[in-house]
Amino acid sequence: MVITKKERRMVAFVWFTSIFVLLEVLAFFLMFVMKDTMAAAKLPFPHTIFIVFVNNWRSLLEAGVITFSRAAIGFGIGAGVGIFLAVIMSLSKTAEKIAFPYLIMSQMIPVLGLAPIIFNIVRDMNLSRIIIAAYITFFPVSVNMLSGLKSVEQDKKDLLYSIATSKFEVYRKLMFPFSMSYLFTGLKIAAPMAVTASILVDMLGSRGGIGVRILYSLYSNTTDIFWASVMTSALMGIFSFYVIVIAENLLLPWRRGASKKDGEKV
Amino acid sequence: MNNKLKNILWPLAFGIGFILIWELGYLHEVLDLRPFQLPIPSQIMTTLYNNLPKVLKDGGVTVIGALIGLTIGSFFGFMIAFLATWFPKWGYGGMIVVTALNAVPIVALSPIMNLWFTTGMAQKIGVVTVVCMAAMAINAYSGLNNLKAFSLDLMETVAADKWVVFRKLRLPNALPNVFTALKINIAASIIAAIISEYFAASTSGLGFGIKDHLRKAEMAMGWSYIVVASLVGVVLYAIIILVERDAIKWHASQR
Repeated sequence: MVITKKERRMVAFVWFTSIFVLLEVLAFFLMFVMKDTMAAAKLPFPHTIFIVFVNNWRSLLEAGVITFSRAAIGFGIGAGVGIFLAVIMSLSKTAEKIAFPYLIMSQMIPVLGLAPIIFNIVRDMNLSRIIIAAYITFFPVSVNMLSGLKSVEQDKKDLLYSIATSKFEVYRKLMFPFSMSYLFTGLKIAAPMAVTASILVDMLGSRGGIGVRILYSLYSNTTDIFWASVMTSALMGIFSFYVIVIAENLLLPWRRGASKKDGEKV
Repeated sequence: MNNKLKNILWPLAFGIGFILIWELGYLHEVLDLRPFQLPIPSQIMTTLYNNLPKVLKDGGVTVIGALIGLTIGSFFGFMIAFLATWFPKWGYGGMIVVTALNAVPIVALSPIMNLWFTTGMAQKIGVVTVVCMAAMAINAYSGLNNLKAFSLDLMETVAADKWVVFRKLRLPNALPNVFTALKINIAASIIAAIISEYFAASTSGLGFGIKDHLRKAEMAMGWSYIVVASLVGVVLYAIIILVERDAIKWHASQR
């Protein structure tokens, strides 16, 4: 069964509209039927959140940019380290044997749980945001990149070796272009995670940033701002994902539309 | 020396080397740290040993919350994938919503759950449930729908109804994906539970322990909690892998 693009758009539109309406109804129910005194905090009307968001967009954006930029720096560093590790591991079997178990183990450490500890060690908010975002990013990137480098067919490598291509050239002309789509899969997983990490670090005692807005508005009982901040952080996560998708379309013209095609078969 | 032994020895040697460097203080010299900022391994182990009952009790609270949330979340996630498969046209929209939910930072959820639930446990389970739901729904959906092209045709040829197709074809096909999601969720649920405890009103659990001891500048104790949290993750992960080996023996990834 194949669904056309037009139908798909309609389905998505209907879903989001119905969720919006449902939330409106639930909020109304909570406020006027259940007479819950905390109704405005538990579930405000979606349109109120939206109005508050529009009214405060400038300050929310400023807070968001602080958090987002640190996440982006950490994301860049983590991606660099991840790619570097993957190349080293694909070059040397011994390196892979040493590093791979530790890659897996490094993910067993609840790194977001480490956030307060890292902050205690470096004593600098921005630096700990960057470190944690980098740490979270490097794993999905390096594992995906490695599996990309490993899935190059042997025939292609043999062909290049048979015409006496140097190792460096093999990587440049064959391995890297081939593993790019794998790399972007890793980047797509990592981007929202890096944003999440950055927001969490905010919440553990930073000065500026969207996480601070969330906590501050929660404890000072300005609930409408609280929900608008949560909405901002959600948008940041979604935004980071689409930045990677757009980058993929720009940098890998031969893959254009492939990420869409993946979901074509229903 | 055979290969199997090499595979174990190399990483082991590296790990022991790293711990030795840390223990002998070279790590502190390189990073310019004081022992009170980063305790050495022997110190952490002694602290952990002396406070074992307390740390284990807190660990138990977190793990129970994480596992309950994991179960509920994975169940709901699978049900969403099931419904989306059953009603392909409208279910697809539901999957879009779930994917969007996946991009929402979980930390933003913790304070909201605080408003909805009064007890720390319920709040923890709430956060973990939402986190686990998305990964399971997305993975299970792709497993239920990415079938070999001819297999669905074959089913239609023998006039199998929707339910039979689901039970005999889609479900076994989705098992590997379900296990993948479970592996992701194990780590995610522990992390989510710990994060929710940072913001919870309750005074138990690993997250609270980490926060509380760091506030009192008891670094070694904070690290003991991290060690326990990591060990719990490793043990649960190992259990999942063993179950997986048994459940999908026929799958290519197991050979």
